[in-house]
Amino acid sequence: MKGAIRSMDDRRHRFEAQVLPHLDAAYRFARWLSRSPSDADDVVQEAILRAFRGFDALRGSDVRAWLLTIVKNCHLTAVKQQQRRAVVPLPEENDPQDAQAMTATTPDPESTSIRRDEERTLARLMSALPEEQREVLVLREIEEMDYREIAAVTNVPIGTVMSRLARARAALKARWSLESGGATHAVR
Amino acid sequence: MQCAESLRVQAYFDGELDALSAAEVERHSEVCAECRALLQDLDHVRTALRQDLTYASAPPELRARVMRALDEESTVGSPRRVGERLTSWRPRPFWKGAFTGIGGTAIAAGIAFFVLAPSFINPVLDDLVSAHVRSLMPDHLIDVVSTDKHTVKPWFAGHTDVSPVVADFDQQGYRLIGGRADYFDHQRAAVVVYQHGPHVINVFSWAADRSGLPKNTTRNGYHLAFWKTGNLVYCAVSDTAWDELLGLVRLLQDLGARDAR
Repeated sequence: MKGAIRSMDDRRHRFEAQVLPHLDAAYRFARWLSRSPSDADDVVQEAILRAFRGFDALRGSDVRAWLLTIVKNCHLTAVKQQQRRAVVPLPEENDPQDAQAMTATTPDPESTSIRRDEERTLARLMSALPEEQREVLVLREIEEMDYREIAAVTNVPIGTVMSRLARARAALKARWSLESGGATHAVR
Repeated sequence: MQCAESLRVQAYFDGELDALSAAEVERHSEVCAECRALLQDLDHVRTALRQDLTYASAPPELRARVMRALDEESTVGSPRRVGERLTSWRPRPFWKGAFTGIGGTAIAAGIAFFVLAPSFINPVLDDLVSAHVRSLMPDHLIDVVSTDKHTVKPWFAGHTDVSPVVADFDQQGYRLIGGRADYFDHQRAAVVVYQHGPHVINVFSWAADRSGLPKNTTRNGYHLAFWKTGNLVYCAVSDTAWDELLGLVRLLQDLGARDAR
């Protein structure tokens, strides 16, 4: 009995030491993916639990990439569940105009304050990007992952990572220039 | 029209090219205005994104929630399958909560020898004992340090959902040393901290709900005394003797009754 408790504690301690340092990264990724604070919280909690259950299978590979892969899968599961429950169909995400409309109709008070807040233009522009572009951009620029890691997390070939990244950056840049009247320096 | 080299320029910017290819891209962008502009744009976007601190770190409430979920998960002997119902019959060892903070390891060895008797009572008791144990770890005891009830009481207004009775009973041997906000049973509880000789007494308070008032009990060597004043439930937790703990309880009950009049 005592031995069992000891090994359970060991496992918990190892988990806390190796995985929990990446909780912030998991939260950021979930937050950018789901665009809603409460959804992000649920996704992170579920991801941490799944990670804990699968912790024994982890063999010295990149812990952060492993955890973010789980976050991504939990997010996909949550989206599927929401779609099944949804009565009103959501606008198609890849349409830039609809994507704009989508942020505008999100019943999330935070996005309202984002709209009011000039400082956070970037967050708004980011959330208007299609998810497949937003995720590679977040992983590259905010989590500073290399192409190989991004490919692992998003489960697509490196070539696809590169083209999505290029499209994401171009789209963000273009929208930004549009908003700031074409002034490049406004990006800073 | 996009330059055919643009993906390679991006890879160069991302540090993904070997030295030879990097040199080629550098030579190319000397003669290609489009790729020079691209490099500039890439840099602008990166600078902006990395300066933006939106969602920089997980909020403390989420961290606490994740820890609670892990506590529940850790108490189960074999890993629970995804989607399986949380088991409620299995007792949650009180010391699990103690591991959620830094420093938990230090007391792990000592506590591992406790006999974990099964309990079929309110899980709130476990939460309270965990919260008490957690509070005894360095830097967890007190958020507002004061022996003045006029400092401690207003502090709660901004930090918890309830406003408990607070007083210094130094003359009777219960010195007010401060207050703390704690998460417990899914709500923010106010904790008033007293010192009695070498012992710390945590007095938790939270809004009463429909469930009945738990009976006074002893858990893992800690006494828990419950009472209710107005719409608040109080619980005093300590490792003092029962008489000493109940001494403080009587003082607080009297005070609460006076306040109510």
